[in-house]
Amino acid sequence: MGKIGHDFDPLSSRYLGRIEAHDSNEDRLNQLKVGDFVTAQISRFDPAVDTKPYFETYRVPYVKWMRVLDVLIYVSETLGIEYAHRWYCGVKKCGTCAVRVNGREMLSCWEPALPDMVIEPLRHLPLVRDLIVDREPYERRVMELKPLLVRTKPYLGLPEPITDREMRAASYAMDCINCMACFSACPVLDLGDQTDFSGPAPLVQLAQVALDRRDGMDRSVLIKNTASIFECVSCYRCEEVCPVEIPIVSRVIEPLKALAFATKPAENKHQSAFLDIVNSRGRIDPSALILKTQGLRAVLNPARAIRLWIKGKISPVQTFFGSAVPGIEYVRRLFSDVKGAL
Amino acid sequence: MMKFAYYPGCSAQSTCKELNASLRVVADKLGLELTEYASASCTGSREIRAVRPELFLALNARIIAMAERDNLPLMTVCNTCTLNFLDTKKRLDEDPEARDRVNEILKSEGLRYQGKCRITHFLWMLLDDIGPKKLKEMVVRSLKGMKLAAFYGCHIVRPPAHFHFFDSRNARSIEVINEILGCESIDYSGRTECCGFHTAADNEKVAIKLTGRHIKSAKDGGAQAIVTPCPLCHTVLDGFQKEMEREVKQKLNVPILHLPQLVGLALGLAPETLHLNRHMVPVKLPV
Repeated sequence: MGKIGHDFDPLSSRYLGRIEAHDSNEDRLNQLKVGDFVTAQISRFDPAVDTKPYFETYRVPYVKWMRVLDVLIYVSETLGIEYAHRWYCGVKKCGTCAVRVNGREMLSCWEPALPDMVIEPLRHLPLVRDLIVDREPYERRVMELKPLLVRTKPYLGLPEPITDREMRAASYAMDCINCMACFSACPVLDLGDQTDFSGPAPLVQLAQVALDRRDGMDRSVLIKNTASIFECVSCYRCEEVCPVEIPIVSRVIEPLKALAFATKPAENKHQSAFLDIVNSRGRIDPSALILKTQGLRAVLNPARAIRLWIKGKISPVQTFFGSAVPGIEYVRRLFSDVKGAL
Repeated sequence: MMKFAYYPGCSAQSTCKELNASLRVVADKLGLELTEYASASCTGSREIRAVRPELFLALNARIIAMAERDNLPLMTVCNTCTLNFLDTKKRLDEDPEARDRVNEILKSEGLRYQGKCRITHFLWMLLDDIGPKKLKEMVVRSLKGMKLAAFYGCHIVRPPAHFHFFDSRNARSIEVINEILGCESIDYSGRTECCGFHTAADNEKVAIKLTGRHIKSAKDGGAQAIVTPCPLCHTVLDGFQKEMEREVKQKLNVPILHLPQLVGLALGLAPETLHLNRHMVPVKLPV
């Protein structure tokens, strides 16, 4: 349990940090000192021999500034254990060394070693051996999304007349190092075959061109159907683990949703219904939203609706005859006045 | 008397009316004076936020500006509303041009976004404004013996741009409150996972498949109930629990409490006052 502090800055939006600050960089860096040992449980799997992965525990002497990668290298080079892990640059550029440490995706080259570590390969990708996964599902999805710039206007030659401001929307996604940390962290991908969601990483690749103003291709079908972007649950797990801090939800997924919506608003019933209800009443009535979004599908489960009604969870009176909030004219004015990007 | 502008959000005024009602009685007990704005609109949830980002900023700035006009901190009871306010505040505070344009639109209503309003959530308010010491003194009925699982929901622990967690599983605030109220906290894998609400109105399949296992993991860990600070999480955990039982092939029957209801119980309020009978999963508590 973290310490409970009460000395806070009254203007900071996040007081909570004072209570829960024990996962700061400083705290993680100061857990070990020279002379200590790191206990690393590393996931092992050899497809020629094993039917499923298992853990093997190694004790590694801590040296100053030891990273997770240094622990892995010590096991293979110094202890001479024949096991497979992938890394190349060691400085957060190549994106090959991502693993899960104690259930959290990270670049092994960039995070400090901890006293006790469970080191596993990334999820949602087929296991090749030990900590190495096959990136094929990711690459296949990226190809499906056709992340190539399609010009509909003639190329004007170098230097291209485009400003940094105009490139901003696409620029966030361009920081991606293809490490697959977000692909592993995404809970929707836990559903496997039961979801068509492409996952965050392929969408980042798509955003690099789709949000580029030089791109002229209609990508709404790719975004909505091929990538099933509306199955994203907005949980921000991808943003949390992204080692290069791309705001994946707010600068990749949401702008792509906006693009798909703007091209064909009528086909995005849920979003249109949401806008309609807020515009007419100011607030959302969930039953009205579900009726508008799902149509007949919503009334196909009357038993559920009746259970909800009995408990007062839904109110048909409010749904069909609900009135608008006072001052609705001001809310409606926002809808009509706000046109361009702010 | 502590004063707050109170924004219940759409859920607490429709599907989770019991949250709004219980918050009101708990606020009375805690000595809070709440100002609610009847003309406040929806904050745009995830939908308006994504497809009309400019309108999203204006909707949120309008509500924040109402609190600023009265010089009050703005308290919510919904995770998604909280994040929407925080995101709007961050954007408008960092981008004076966007702020000027928003203010131009808000002018007709006599409102102005200034950026001096503190955004807080009921959960944070308990620890930051009331404080653990005072809260502990107010407990008249210790919930000793009760085993509770905290379900944080996403939008008050992520994204790291606001909450600065390296690993959001390190969130502890609800467990701190559990300890103050005397009940035992259960550790389980779903604590800071997603309930899937934001895809549920369109297609509840994802929410049901994703969330059943979290309730199961809390139950297997010995939880008698789950407590959540978010009405959206509550809607999924409570409202879809029957469907989830089919998914995890196990009887779950885990009552889901709103955080103010839990606090209210410890403050000595009667279960009926806290509307514990309005849940889909019947609430039978050991204390």
